[in-house]
Amino acid sequence: MKTKFIILCFLSVLFWAIPSHSFNFGNILKEVEKSTRPPEKTQPSKEKTKPTQSPVQSSEQNSGQDGGLIGLGDSLGLFDKKTSKFLKQSVNTLKSLQPIAYEEEKAIGGRLAVEVFNRYGGAYNDPELLNYINLVGQSVADVSSRSDINYHFAILNTEFPNAFATPGGYVFVSIGLIRMIENEAELAGVLAHEVAHIARKHALQTLQRSRSLQGVSSLTLTVMDKDPGLFDKLIDEVSNVLFTKGLDKNLEFEADKYGREFAYRTGYYPGALKRFIQKLGASKKNQGSIFSSTHPTSRERYNLLQKSSSRYKKASLYPTLGKRFKVAIKR
Amino acid sequence: MRLLIYSFIFLFFGFSFTSQVTAETWYVKKSATKLQAEAKARSKVLGKLNKGTPVDVLGKSGKFYKVSAAGETGWIFRFRLTKVAPSGSGGDGDVLGALGGQQQIAARESAYGSSIRGLSPVSEEHAIKKGASPASIESVKEMERYKVDDEALDKFLEEGRLGAYAD
Repeated sequence: MKTKFIILCFLSVLFWAIPSHSFNFGNILKEVEKSTRPPEKTQPSKEKTKPTQSPVQSSEQNSGQDGGLIGLGDSLGLFDKKTSKFLKQSVNTLKSLQPIAYEEEKAIGGRLAVEVFNRYGGAYNDPELLNYINLVGQSVADVSSRSDINYHFAILNTEFPNAFATPGGYVFVSIGLIRMIENEAELAGVLAHEVAHIARKHALQTLQRSRSLQGVSSLTLTVMDKDPGLFDKLIDEVSNVLFTKGLDKNLEFEADKYGREFAYRTGYYPGALKRFIQKLGASKKNQGSIFSSTHPTSRERYNLLQKSSSRYKKASLYPTLGKRFKVAIKR
Repeated sequence: MRLLIYSFIFLFFGFSFTSQVTAETWYVKKSATKLQAEAKARSKVLGKLNKGTPVDVLGKSGKFYKVSAAGETGWIFRFRLTKVAPSGSGGDGDVLGALGGQQQIAARESAYGSSIRGLSPVSEEHAIKKGASPASIESVKEMERYKVDDEALDKFLEEGRLGAYAD
């Protein structure tokens, strides 16, 4: 009994002490990167044969090198071929994941925002409703995981139910979608879903994973300005994802999860987004719309939200603010 | 043996106690963040803090954190604080210190206040080159100029019993 108690005490102290000696993942990455970098003296010969080598090509070439820890592990027989290849690929993927800075993010998002107005009916002119949308949107953005940037909200003049988010803080909701909404909590859920896309940098993540743009690690406004072809490529790539293909399913599910959380933090009924998704799925208006073609099915989204809804205890006590919503949209 | 057990207990509780009383430095996420006398949204406002202001977190009660900032102790709505110093990536103002008169200005910005950054020239030039309509470009600029008034937002939250006002 005494021995058990001593072990318990020891483990408790150990458990307390471990977090204070945290390791730096960034440094580990740097070390791994260093260890997998090919010897510098081999580079000039390559430059001679391929003077116009792009960063994408060079990163692909690096993946073929056998230097560093992985190479050593390989030669010592510590890793089989498959593992070694996987490790090299992982390191190169990590190397390409340089974050795009806010200024560049805003330039990409701003250009896409023009495209949203251009493609989806332009701005809907109702200053009072716009003010209301901004108040609800700002409320959820303020409690989001990325509340240190400015968010901008707009209404699109189209009857199709649509909602978009472009990088840098631009959020759009169509008048058609607003007309399908029944209360403020549902509106907050929809806007928070879009805020979550921005807060979690979903479009940028997609861009950075793109094979054709793996060399964007050095992307700056100056580079974009000097190389309009690169900016063209970037915009085409993200436009294709946002307006045609849609984001990865899992990113949509993540935006649902985070969106519900942001709405809940604001104080809204957390089940409202789930309810609205269900309604949207049943609506004929939604069939064939860009919204339905770029998002996973409503059933999948509903089921996933339903699975994790037990986290929100006493959810029914939270307000939906139906009356205030109806006054705002003059219903 | 008993001595050893007591030593462990002493060490464990000693460390736990230390970790509780050591104040952690957090940062204000947004300008015009209210420092209040009590852990209630309707309590007296002691002052308004700017984005990036460091505060020492002393305790927690419901949705509020007890903090110490610039010699004042008060309460802040928890979602207005972050463990990581804001990067200034397009936020709403510089850190001017704490509790000074200039902080009050942040709460009185007009509905169409100036945006920190407008539509980037790179974006605008590209949009024009690709034939986007001038109305679409103007709509984005309008969207960026639109600024929700902090007092109006606070009133909106209070009326809806949301944010810091939620029960």
